[in-house]
Amino acid sequence: MSEVTVDAAPDALRVTIDGTTLEVAPGTTILEAAQAAGRWIPTVCFDDRQAPFGACRVCMVAVEGSPRPLPACTTPCGNGMKVETEEPTARRVARTVVELVLSELPEPPEPHTELARVAARLGVDGSRWSGAVHPHEDDFRHPYLALRHELCISCGRCVRACDEIQGAFALTATGRGFEANIVAGLDAGFEESTCVSCGACADTCPTDAISEIGLVAQLERS
Amino acid sequence: MSRNLVELIRRHHAVDAPTALDLLKEAMEDHGELTDADRRAAAEASGLPEAAVYGVSTFYDDLLAPRGERHVRVCTGTACFVAAGERPVEELSAGLRLAPGERSADGAVSLAETVCLGFCHSSPAVRVGEEVDAGAGAIERALAGESRPAAEPDWSSLLPEPVLTRPGAWAGLRRALDTLGREGLLAEVEAAEVRGRGGAGFPAGAKWAFAAKAKGDEKFVVANGDEGDPGSYIDKYLMERSPELLLEGMALAGYAVGAGHGFVLCRSEYPASKPALEAAAARAREAGLLGEGILGTDFAFDVTIIEGAGSYVVGEETALLACVQGLRGTVSARPPFPAERGVYGMPTVVNNVETLANIPFVAARGAEAYRALSPDSETAGSKLVCFNERFARPSVYEVPFGMTVRELCEDVAGGLRDGHQIKAVQIGGPLGGILPASLLDTVFDFDALAEVGCMVGHGSILAFDETADMRDVARHLLRFGADESCGKCFPCRIGMRRAYEEFATDAPVDRARFEALLETLELGSLCAHGSGIPAPMRSLLTHFPDELGLR
Repeated sequence: MSEVTVDAAPDALRVTIDGTTLEVAPGTTILEAAQAAGRWIPTVCFDDRQAPFGACRVCMVAVEGSPRPLPACTTPCGNGMKVETEEPTARRVARTVVELVLSELPEPPEPHTELARVAARLGVDGSRWSGAVHPHEDDFRHPYLALRHELCISCGRCVRACDEIQGAFALTATGRGFEANIVAGLDAGFEESTCVSCGACADTCPTDAISEIGLVAQLERS
Repeated sequence: MSRNLVELIRRHHAVDAPTALDLLKEAMEDHGELTDADRRAAAEASGLPEAAVYGVSTFYDDLLAPRGERHVRVCTGTACFVAAGERPVEELSAGLRLAPGERSADGAVSLAETVCLGFCHSSPAVRVGEEVDAGAGAIERALAGESRPAAEPDWSSLLPEPVLTRPGAWAGLRRALDTLGREGLLAEVEAAEVRGRGGAGFPAGAKWAFAAKAKGDEKFVVANGDEGDPGSYIDKYLMERSPELLLEGMALAGYAVGAGHGFVLCRSEYPASKPALEAAAARAREAGLLGEGILGTDFAFDVTIIEGAGSYVVGEETALLACVQGLRGTVSARPPFPAERGVYGMPTVVNNVETLANIPFVAARGAEAYRALSPDSETAGSKLVCFNERFARPSVYEVPFGMTVRELCEDVAGGLRDGHQIKAVQIGGPLGGILPASLLDTVFDFDALAEVGCMVGHGSILAFDETADMRDVARHLLRFGADESCGKCFPCRIGMRRAYEEFATDAPVDRARFEALLETLELGSLCAHGSGIPAPMRSLLTHFPDELGLR
């Protein structure tokens, strides 16, 4: 047991994360508190530059008194809350979700991607599920940005980057259910949309569904 | 929900701009399909970015299937499935030579699937244009171009004096404005312990208290009329037969929390609901019951009736708010709750249609009278239940809580028709547990049903008879679950598809793997769609394991 104090304020809340008690400001999420306490919680749809989204459900943690695991990214801390980040049920759900994500991709994610790194750290190296995968559909019309729909896991990070960071509103989620994906503009490619080529979408993408085409690749293609 | 998009919508609404969804629906009505020109025009007029409009146009069923001059929509809801299996889709496909989602080359006819038309009392149901035909011969008549509107059975009440199955009289609003006052009304609704009738059972008074305390330049009331649960046609009856009761309930909610405007979101699958509500609202304005200076006081409240566009998950409250604002009907994580941030980012009360229809009685007669409506139960108020076509007397009935499911099925609905036997009943919609015949003596109430893995839900009681194949039932429910997943959270978006795939072929189901999916859906999903579907699946695993083809 240890104690960490972060900016103790009169209205601060005391939360305990894996045995470490700390004080946080009201509105702090469990994920933020855990990071302050130096604990790792796996995430896929989270980017600290964006508002929490709560889609991937990989950041599930156990909270004392809650009958079910809670998502750390969208759950605010409450005073006296006790959180266990590696509680077996919460972790089992997180691992199963990552397995499901691997099962929707036509090929395993490249090792450098955030998805691959989260899967590896959770010890998920394959999937119990096969079945439908996203069909190959690659859009290389833009000179610097490649959009590979088959790698999209609908985490919404690119759409939010375009909305919240750049304000270009060039991207949207499309379809629904398993067929959900993303497009730029009216699905006529980045260049025909309001995209300003800032690259914020590629920077945040956890799977290379949107990636920057490097100079060498550009030369090779030309 | 994107705060930036909501702010854009709020600013455009302030200058009376229509929503993108309304404009896309109009384009579909006008020329039967959407073009990029339609999307650009909708973006321009609504103020929504083009990409966001594109996203909306790919989300809703009504915007996806191209329409011919004669647009045939075949109901694939659970009641129709129980009555006729895959036959309606197969026969219409064969007869029209169209797969669902296709239009004939000459544009004369088109076929689409729809869930559900709310004619569960007379399955199978087919909609041609704005008319719904149902019952024996409906498929054949649709093929012959001879569809005719189906009759809907009258509703009735088992209570000494009906509370819900009656026309609204506005006595509750009069008493609230004359005697109770805002605080008094809120106290009355909290004391009445009105539990939400849309599925979750959350106390309406608590929601109102949050919204009353929330700070905002404006506040709103939203009536959830998106009764998407296949097998349920209760809110349909309320909106079409007693629209005044709903409007009065909304005005009371507005008065209690300080809201000046309300929205009803009704389903496009119920073409008669919006006209009925609009006619009732016009009569109420005429009578000084809606609008400015209601009943000679300084209270002002008015309503807008909105029609959805085909999406089950829009019945979830955050998705409902997205749809009201013309966005994709996807679920948002809470907090923030609608009571803090709802329509246009303002505090909003969201209540189900039946919940709001309970409020006029509470306001007129008080919490004590309301709590006494179900003498044999701790639960306050009465409940509307409805039955599917398998029953001898299917319709909507107002009943007290505390009767057994057997009494409801046998005494109220007359048992099954033609000497059939109940094998099981699914209560409260596709996310409700399935009760086998051996447990029919369970009491119809929140706690008693929860003990056997079931729920009151929306109040539909849908019977499977002795001929039902429970593996087919599982496949039907999981296909519905996968088709209707909004695609936001990963457990539901992928897990529901994988669960359906377990049953999609005749191959044995891997029980351990299926149970892992159910756990992940139940504990991981963002909303009740994904977390609810495990309930009927667990019922089937418990009561009918031998029929599921498990290994």
